[in-house]
Amino acid sequence: MPAPVTIEFNDRVVRQFILATVLWGVVGMLVGVLVATQLNFWQANFATSWLTFGRLRPLHTNAVIFAFVGNMMFAGVYYSTQRLVKARLASDFLSQLHFWGWQAIIVAAAITLPLGLTRGKEYAELIWPLNVAVAFIWVVFAVNFFWTLARRREPSLYVAIWFYIATIVTVAMLYIVNHLSLPTSLTHSYPLFGGVQDALVQWWYGHNAVAFFLTTPILGIMYYFLPKAAGRPVYSYRLSVVHFWSLVFVYIWAGPHHLLNTALPDWLQTLGMTFSLMLWAPSWGGMLNGLLTLRGAWHLLRTDPVLKFMAAAVTFYGMATFEGPLLSIKSVNALGHYTDWIIGHVHGGALGWNGFMAAGMIYWLLPRLWDRPLHSVALANLHFWLGTVGILLYLGAMWASGITQGLMLGATTEGGTVLAYPNFLDTLNTIRPLMLMRVIGGTLYLAGFLLLAYNLWRTLRGARPVDGTVEVMAEPAAPDAAGRLGLLATFLNPPVLFSVLGTGFACAWMFGGDAVSVLGIGGLLLSTALALAHWQSRGRAWAGWYDRLLVNSAPFTVLTFIAVAVGGLVQMIPLAVAHKAANVEDRRQVPYTPLELAGRDLYVREGCYTCHSQMIRTLVPDVLRYGDYSRLGESIYDHPFQWGSRRTGPDLARVGGKYPHVWHLRHMEDPRAISAGSNMPAYPWLLVNDTDVAALPGRLAVQRTLGVPYPEQSPAEVLAQVDRQARAIADDLRAAGATVEPGREIIALIAYLQRLGRSEEVGAARPAQ
Amino acid sequence: MTPLPPEKSEEDRIRPHVYDGIQEFDKRLPNWWLYTLYLTIVFWVGYWAYFEWFRAGPTSAQEVGAELARIEAARLAVAQVDDPTLWQMSRNPAITAAGRAVYDANCAACHLASLRGKAESPVAIGPDLTDNVWVYGGRPVEVHALITKGVLAKGMPTWGPVLGPRKISEVTAFLLSRHREGDPIVLQPPSTP
Repeated sequence: MPAPVTIEFNDRVVRQFILATVLWGVVGMLVGVLVATQLNFWQANFATSWLTFGRLRPLHTNAVIFAFVGNMMFAGVYYSTQRLVKARLASDFLSQLHFWGWQAIIVAAAITLPLGLTRGKEYAELIWPLNVAVAFIWVVFAVNFFWTLARRREPSLYVAIWFYIATIVTVAMLYIVNHLSLPTSLTHSYPLFGGVQDALVQWWYGHNAVAFFLTTPILGIMYYFLPKAAGRPVYSYRLSVVHFWSLVFVYIWAGPHHLLNTALPDWLQTLGMTFSLMLWAPSWGGMLNGLLTLRGAWHLLRTDPVLKFMAAAVTFYGMATFEGPLLSIKSVNALGHYTDWIIGHVHGGALGWNGFMAAGMIYWLLPRLWDRPLHSVALANLHFWLGTVGILLYLGAMWASGITQGLMLGATTEGGTVLAYPNFLDTLNTIRPLMLMRVIGGTLYLAGFLLLAYNLWRTLRGARPVDGTVEVMAEPAAPDAAGRLGLLATFLNPPVLFSVLGTGFACAWMFGGDAVSVLGIGGLLLSTALALAHWQSRGRAWAGWYDRLLVNSAPFTVLTFIAVAVGGLVQMIPLAVAHKAANVEDRRQVPYTPLELAGRDLYVREGCYTCHSQMIRTLVPDVLRYGDYSRLGESIYDHPFQWGSRRTGPDLARVGGKYPHVWHLRHMEDPRAISAGSNMPAYPWLLVNDTDVAALPGRLAVQRTLGVPYPEQSPAEVLAQVDRQARAIADDLRAAGATVEPGREIIALIAYLQRLGRSEEVGAARPAQ
Repeated sequence: MTPLPPEKSEEDRIRPHVYDGIQEFDKRLPNWWLYTLYLTIVFWVGYWAYFEWFRAGPTSAQEVGAELARIEAARLAVAQVDDPTLWQMSRNPAITAAGRAVYDANCAACHLASLRGKAESPVAIGPDLTDNVWVYGGRPVEVHALITKGVLAKGMPTWGPVLGPRKISEVTAFLLSRHREGDPIVLQPPSTP
């Protein structure tokens, strides 16, 4: 028997991540309050391009997701993993590289986004060199984590570790696929996918960033810190097993619910809606295991701010994961989509679930990492109440605002033939008070978080950092030969076989021809029945196999990856292999002229998509307000797609030709000169800056590589074409009494806006399925 | 009295493994939770079968197409307007007040609140609506038709689908209230910049 030794955990990196969490949390929330203020008071855009809503909103979302929750996740994962597997983090160097690399990326993002350097896809705005850096640092994280697992002295993996594994492999997959792009310069690129494909990939990523960046790692953190803080056993191990696997499998399929009632093919919308509903119970499994673990410890909530925060966080998680499936029902979505309801929904998760879990975890960790009691429990309690009231004000305001605006936008009169509120601004100005209430709620929440920062500072001041230790055997536990799962045993066992059969038959039923689909539904029902029967009689064998799987981290990781990969593949492959030009319904987009493309790049740079959609849904009020509903083919050459997710302003899919050039000029210069009561920022610099025409030949070449049918043109020909179109627009403006040089950015933007909605009719081609 | 059966000991037993002091029960899954899961799975099978397998329900395009056809029919049924009616409406203060509201919300941006457009300010986008010079015809039905259809090339939006026939009649009546029946109509063909 080897002698026991004491190992010291690497808690230094945990402390670093905690401090970064608080710093970036304050920054991210501060920017959030600023952008919310801008929606009420356009003056808060400060008449400088760096601080307009369109550029700061991406900064807010990226800061909160990747900087605040990212750092919090790394702190929680590193702290709990070392203890759960009884091993120090594998490499101090990789830990430091991870920490400093991640902070460098955040700083770079905070500089590039206000400069207007963006990819124009939500939560995926960072430019391509930063994408490479994120992927690299994520791999560093993965190596450090799995290397630590390999050196573990605790053979069996606890449920928190399952969630961490799912997080690491899935975020890597999502991030890499959604960031595939072709660079045109060091700071600019076009995404590989365009139009509907880009939309599908984006929301596969966007939805599952919520799932695997904001949910699964935090569930893992909950499974460690909540029973620790409550001193109670976890409620149900088997619920952990069932909800973990159902959650990671089902989540991936639900992405298309962000694109309901759009030009996305119906079958994908159906998948998005039905799988979102199936996600309800798996999500609530996590909530149940959290809340029911507190049974017998509820009295502690009165005194312990840690448990207060965590119990509220899990409750908000349950609320948001009920609201999500509800909003995924097509008819509910018709009302809520593009409105503040969605903003409220996401903040229920971000402020309630993520923010409160972060607070609970930090209050729990501070005394343990710095060897000193928390400076003030009373301040922590005050933080809790400020935060809770802030969230409730925020969510209440957004529900009322979203439903009000949704109802007004959809209201018709005269027997349903005419819009009741034809002027979009009427609907915006109705929700102004609610948008103001949101600012107040957000400010209260930020004030609470500042109390945490103060409490942390007072606790740390003069305190001594302390690293945790554990006593273990000198040698890592030798893998038990009997417990090791080979390739065969990983796959050839009842749970995996029945899952593969069920999924295969289900896909055959959904996507097969007549005979295959009948076979598929029969097989699905039969394999489900067989699986139930087998589980009833041989349940112990299933459990025994799973116990063995838990001591085999590599097979566990492989199976997790397969479970999360299926949904994306089934949805993306049919759209990717379908020939683009044939997959257009009855309209095909006319490629932009070079000047229009330059204008589109400006539209992306200014973040117009944060407030304007380019997608007229298959809904009567949308058609009455904006024109014929958008067809799939009308954006196939859009890299990136700009369908949008929130209509603070009206849809722009068919704005081309609706107003004269001079209308757009005056409107961009001073929106309120044209639309009294508008909250849109002014863009005076567009009238002064020159369009970067020198970059156009290179950008066109990349577009051609991506499959946009541009003719081969010499740079001189491109510039001549740009010049001709720009002069025509400038001439028209002069005739209307406005003098603008043809080389200015506003000319390119007008050229782009005026062609929105132009397409050519093509023979009816059925979208491939 | 028979003794109570032993508690569900299987359930309350703590799993043997302890992770950093954390223990786990192995309680049964709550029935309502299981049935929620099963119900949503059954719903998926039924919904997919109905819409995608048997194609029993309408597609999104068919659904909105049918609705739009109904709206067009309803609009055509009430689309009759003629010159005498519009002149009569222009003398009804309730109608012209409603027309004024429509005008302020939708037309004043280009034609200005005074209706005088370019005649008042050179930077205004729309022409004067108070003089006797008309570009596309000055008879009431012609004005009504122009507002309905718009002139995209000149920057006049197509208001028909947005405002609907009633509001367009009201705003036409409001414009006519600034003119007198029998005023001369000076036609000025559209310029092409």
